[in-house]
Amino acid sequence: MKHWWKFLAIGLLLFASIAALRVPLAPALVHVSPDRIAPGPTEITITGYNTRFVKEEGVYLENDSQRVCPSSVSVIDEKHIRASFEVPTGMRANLTDVGVGPLVYPGALYTEGLGAGIEPGACGPGRSKLDLSGMAFTFPNRSILYESIRNLHFHVPMWFTMIVLMAISVFQSIRVLGSNSLEHDRGAELAAKVGLVFCALGLVTGALWARATWGAFWTNDVKLNGAAVTGLIYLAYLVLRGSVQDVHKRARLSAIYNIFAFVLLVIFLFVVPRLNAVDSLHPGNGGNGGFSDLDLDSRLRVIFYPAVLGWILLGCWMYDLRVRAARVAEQLDR
Amino acid sequence: MKRTLTLLSLLGLWLRVAAQGGAPMWLEQTLYGNGKINVVVAVVAVIIAGIGLWMWRMDRRLTKLERTNTRSKQP
Repeated sequence: MKHWWKFLAIGLLLFASIAALRVPLAPALVHVSPDRIAPGPTEITITGYNTRFVKEEGVYLENDSQRVCPSSVSVIDEKHIRASFEVPTGMRANLTDVGVGPLVYPGALYTEGLGAGIEPGACGPGRSKLDLSGMAFTFPNRSILYESIRNLHFHVPMWFTMIVLMAISVFQSIRVLGSNSLEHDRGAELAAKVGLVFCALGLVTGALWARATWGAFWTNDVKLNGAAVTGLIYLAYLVLRGSVQDVHKRARLSAIYNIFAFVLLVIFLFVVPRLNAVDSLHPGNGGNGGFSDLDLDSRLRVIFYPAVLGWILLGCWMYDLRVRAARVAEQLDR
Repeated sequence: MKRTLTLLSLLGLWLRVAAQGGAPMWLEQTLYGNGKINVVVAVVAVIIAGIGLWMWRMDRRLTKLERTNTRSKQP
């Protein structure tokens, strides 16, 4: 069975794509109305996402680790809960957290009438638990990201695949320098071409995701610009190839260029964005925490790694098809 | 080669144009609504369309090979 890896590619992609789209998000508090409080009686409506509010207990406000307990709580439905508070005078911090059972919305309320502290109440987690049945396997629910965290399993594998294809390309280029073989030269060219397809997909999917989370299709993020420059470097590689007529000269010249191109890829995509001196919006870059900082991160990994492997195998399959087609074309030309 | 360049420069142009000016309200509503699930739909659609486009070009390439093959077999 020499085609096993193609079946593996399809299997992994099926598993990862279905799971990436179907695994529910963890419950979270996403909205509080009103969003500012002042001393005196206040009624607050809390909106949850994927929550199942069942009991009328466990709601609290927390200001600088001092809790305010509600005077009354009513569950409107599974996703809405309403609580009345007698907000005390003299809370210490500007931002007050809202908690419902184990869920916390940090900094949900802007607080007026600050002072030296309050009489802390005793209420909150421990008294009531959210009903988590049927929610056993979930993705982290993060503000700003929400459902779009699923894009991790689609957008990021594009870049992994591109990098693997460019690595294949540079490997072939190094072999060209040793052997002067035109077969290897063709391999280097075609791997870079298929890699550019994934580069384009990564850029477009990234732009869409950025619009929904960072607010613009293109930001001056180091990783974005680095990826764009990498794409241009490889386009220049193809331009260079097109400009040299002699095939052997072309093979050697472009092989040397390709080695530099790959070094630049590594620098632009791995080194520069990780410098603590630069700011980056990407997780895991410029001093940011990666997705590994997320709660339940292992649940993302279980889907993410199969997705990456699946897409890499698909990319290699596409490369394989192009190499075989080119080989047949060459045989027919003779 | 030429086509790849055209496609990629068009992509760059689109990104630049899209980056300028405020986006229309419908886009915000579509992207931000329902827990931002539509972003995922758009991303998956882009990937399928992209791979589909690649398949289309591969198909054209093979058709060309087939034609050369039939021609070379004729006496």
